[in-house]
Amino acid sequence: MTVHEPAVTRFAETRAFLHDIRERVGKVVVGQDVVVERVLIALLTSGHLLLQGVPGLAKTLLVAAVGKTVDLAFARIQFTIDLLPSDIVGSEILDQKTHEFRTHKGPIFTNLLLADEINRAAPKVQSALLEAMQERRVTIGNHNYPLPAPFLVIATQNPVEQAGTFELPEAQLDRFMLLHRLQYLSPQEEKEVLRRNAALGVRRDGKGAVARTEFDVLGDQPVGSADKLVRAMEDVQQVHVSEAFLEHCVEITNRTRRHPKVELGCSPRAGIALVKASRARALIHGRDYVLPEDLFALAEDVILHRMRLGYEALAEGCTGQQVLQEILAESPR
Amino acid sequence: MPHSRWLVPLLLAGALAAQARDMRSASVGMRARIDELVLPGGELEPAAVDHTTPIVVRLLATRPHGDRFRYDLEWYGLAPGRYDLARWLARKDGSAAADLPPIEVTVTSVLPPGELEPAAPAPGALPRLSGYSTLQIVAGVLWVVGLLAVLFVGRRWRRARAVATVQPTLADRLRPLVQAVATGAADDAGKAELERLLVAFWRAKLGLRTANADAAIVAIRAHAEAGALLRQVEAWLHRPEPPASFDVAALLAPYRSVSAADFEEVARVR
Repeated sequence: MTVHEPAVTRFAETRAFLHDIRERVGKVVVGQDVVVERVLIALLTSGHLLLQGVPGLAKTLLVAAVGKTVDLAFARIQFTIDLLPSDIVGSEILDQKTHEFRTHKGPIFTNLLLADEINRAAPKVQSALLEAMQERRVTIGNHNYPLPAPFLVIATQNPVEQAGTFELPEAQLDRFMLLHRLQYLSPQEEKEVLRRNAALGVRRDGKGAVARTEFDVLGDQPVGSADKLVRAMEDVQQVHVSEAFLEHCVEITNRTRRHPKVELGCSPRAGIALVKASRARALIHGRDYVLPEDLFALAEDVILHRMRLGYEALAEGCTGQQVLQEILAESPR
Repeated sequence: MPHSRWLVPLLLAGALAAQARDMRSASVGMRARIDELVLPGGELEPAAVDHTTPIVVRLLATRPHGDRFRYDLEWYGLAPGRYDLARWLARKDGSAAADLPPIEVTVTSVLPPGELEPAAPAPGALPRLSGYSTLQIVAGVLWVVGLLAVLFVGRRWRRARAVATVQPTLADRLRPLVQAVATGAADDAGKAELERLLVAFWRAKLGLRTANADAAIVAIRAHAEAGALLRQVEAWLHRPEPPASFDVAALLAPYRSVSAADFEEVARVR
């Protein structure tokens, strides 16, 4: 795009592209509109996303659907206790024919990486992934390789089964721009899921047949290319951020540091993430400027995993959500 | 100095003389010492004693002194009277010690004559309050006084201080801010604070204080009066090109005289 191109036209194209993605994903994933929006925000801002929810909420299906819809290289790693860093980033292997070491790149060399159940891997594996997320480069042997662009990690973790898991520390959670907590579907949405599932049928496979899953419904034809995504990412940078909005962001992050129930408040990275995510949300909602509405809508996903409650607050039974709502509702001083 | 060579030995001799003890009198059972006692003849030792002996003598040190010996001896008496310690010394070689000069000592008694045992102590009157009990009563009184002071004086003082440092209400903060923004005197921070206050105002007014922030702002935007105001303020503050014909003063006029009661309207109705 040139600078002379009208912004409205350009945003209209991007909005149509984003609408198509949502529509395509909506064909296989029922409800979860907010989650789809968060995935799009992550895509548009190159911020990584951590999805937290109990099994069976279509987390994996959702990410796979987005990957196919945008024509991005997609890889999935199921994190387990015996996973090694080299299983993710790759390693140097000895070629028996040439007797030379050959670099074998791991699944991290992709555009969209689904790190399923990230809290099941050992801390050194988590660190290897999170370092790559931050640096967007990995080192194999003595060589340093840049990761493809765009590069986005969408990780999932199950908040219920904590046995045999390694909780991500605050410093590593901070690498995720958004942590979205998935909720159960409404009864109507759940009914729709059952209805669609009942209509899937079977798929012939050689002489036999297997029951079709939602993954079989995913269309192979993407609604847009990676170029369109890059163009949308550029558009996000054109979304206007007012001084008043910046004041709001600074005020909110500062309140987390001053709140008596909060032991560890948000870092400046939280403020950066708030602004970036708000810009993407504004674009998704058809605006070329951000509003406090964006901030309030994203606050929980951006802020909650970046602050730690104090011992007394936990002993009183306070939750992070309650404290955050106190912070957001607190009158200015 | 010519006299200094004599000074040190003299001082040492003086010190030794001062150290030497010559206790010729002691009460019954109390030990006494006689040091540096030079006695003629061969070396002496304490004579054998039995349970009737009124004096017990011990030789603590024996040193040659020319053709004599010098003794440090300790003695104590078991019955009052005057005694010659020479009677309870004997030659080590078994020869007679008749040539010894008398070593007279006196054993005194602290009891009256004829009284062999100390008198039983007469029972005296005990004080009404011992020191510990008095201390306990004083501490208890002080504790009660302190408690009353905390309960009554401290509470009054805290109330007085709370009155003195009363926090301004939302309304108190909103009014000057509206005035500043309407007159163009507010900076970006002031404008942002005004927006937050207006949201807080409408949250209170519409009974959305307990609602989540994102749900509350959606509800405010959907409200006829509040939504119109909020959208105009948002357009003015957040649009890249704010509307040219935007009269901030007129928009904020209803909030210039807002009172604390306005924030509680819904709560009172409920």
